[in-house]
Amino acid sequence: MTTPPELEAMIARMALGDRTAFAALYAATSAKLFGICMRVLDNRSESEDALQEVFVKLWHSAERYQVNGLSPMTWMITVARNHAIDRLRARRAAPGDMDELAELADLTPGPEAQLIAASERGRIARCLGTLEPDRADAIRRAYLDGETYADLAYRYAVPLNTIRTSLRRSLLKLRECMSS
Amino acid sequence: MTTDPDRDDDPALAAEYAVGLLSEAETRAFESRLAVDPEFRAMVAVWTEDLVTLTDGIAPVTPPKSVQLAIEQRLFPEARQSWVRRLGLIPSLIGGLVAALLVVWATQQGILGTDPALGPNYRAEIAAQDQSLVVQATYSAASGVIEVDRTAGEQRAGRVLELWLIAGENPPVSLGLLDIGRRTTVVVPAALMASLDGGVLAISDEPPGGSPAGAPTGDVLAVGSLTAL
Repeated sequence: MTTPPELEAMIARMALGDRTAFAALYAATSAKLFGICMRVLDNRSESEDALQEVFVKLWHSAERYQVNGLSPMTWMITVARNHAIDRLRARRAAPGDMDELAELADLTPGPEAQLIAASERGRIARCLGTLEPDRADAIRRAYLDGETYADLAYRYAVPLNTIRTSLRRSLLKLRECMSS
Repeated sequence: MTTDPDRDDDPALAAEYAVGLLSEAETRAFESRLAVDPEFRAMVAVWTEDLVTLTDGIAPVTPPKSVQLAIEQRLFPEARQSWVRRLGLIPSLIGGLVAALLVVWATQQGILGTDPALGPNYRAEIAAQDQSLVVQATYSAASGVIEVDRTAGEQRAGRVLELWLIAGENPPVSLGLLDIGRRTTVVVPAALMASLDGGVLAISDEPPGGSPAGAPTGDVLAVGSLTAL
């Protein structure tokens, strides 16, 4: 396991155009980031394309890494997660994707989602447990599956404004729990 | 829905942004504030760190080598100098070419696949000048597979052999590591297939796991040109 200071050093050298540092960072993190692309996109070849884009982004934004105040793995995972979610949303927006609609109609988390939820650590997992199960589930779906307020409104069969108001309240409650 | 200018709204907005619940327009508006507001940025950073732990349970999956090759080709495409020249490969290339022409059909029989439609249409003998390492390679354009058969020599102790494609004036692109055993099957990434015609294959001596640099780091032990059958 590469330590955060080692990853930071790699990113700093990458910002100076060091290709060896890029190769080392790729070796240290590509499997985790590919795992995340696969989890979000559930499609191998699309995940390979996504991973390419993610590392191209990481290379080009390495010099701005310090500004955002994130730990190195958080930064990289967030870039990967955001890119994968963007792709997923573009795919959902494409016409005629019945599978995605069917997927949205399924209210129960799949075995994989349950497994992931069970293995979550950290204060967010603990605090999600203090929310109503539907709300916690909605937050996970938004973060890990890129579901929008519109998707969630459809899923839980409630008006858009209602879901937004209630989720905003849940997020604030979550923050309160995590800060205590 | 528009962004509320009231700062009381900021904690919820920071959360929505980090979770990814804002619309595209809201996200753009938010990001322009993020760039100039360190307090806001700190709020988002706290949320982002917490949310990332939701990915703890996602198992790593090793991506295929072709992804790294494609990334490095995109990021570092320039060839400042011909690699063939830089590595001093010209004399050995001529040797390799002669060797390729002399290889007998019987050698190929042992290497060829069984399906004639997918049979090889290029071959190369990748050989050291002193024949201390000799590798026969055949490539089938139909299947995109290079079959490698090491007929003489082996990796140095504690080291590995890495196969490279040098296309024209471009820097070498790794095709992966050779197996410790005699034979290796290499699946050529689709993006590289067109480069194989007239390309040069080279084998370098590398640390375990292969070159960390995207280019050969150890001695280039053997080279050979791919020629059409």
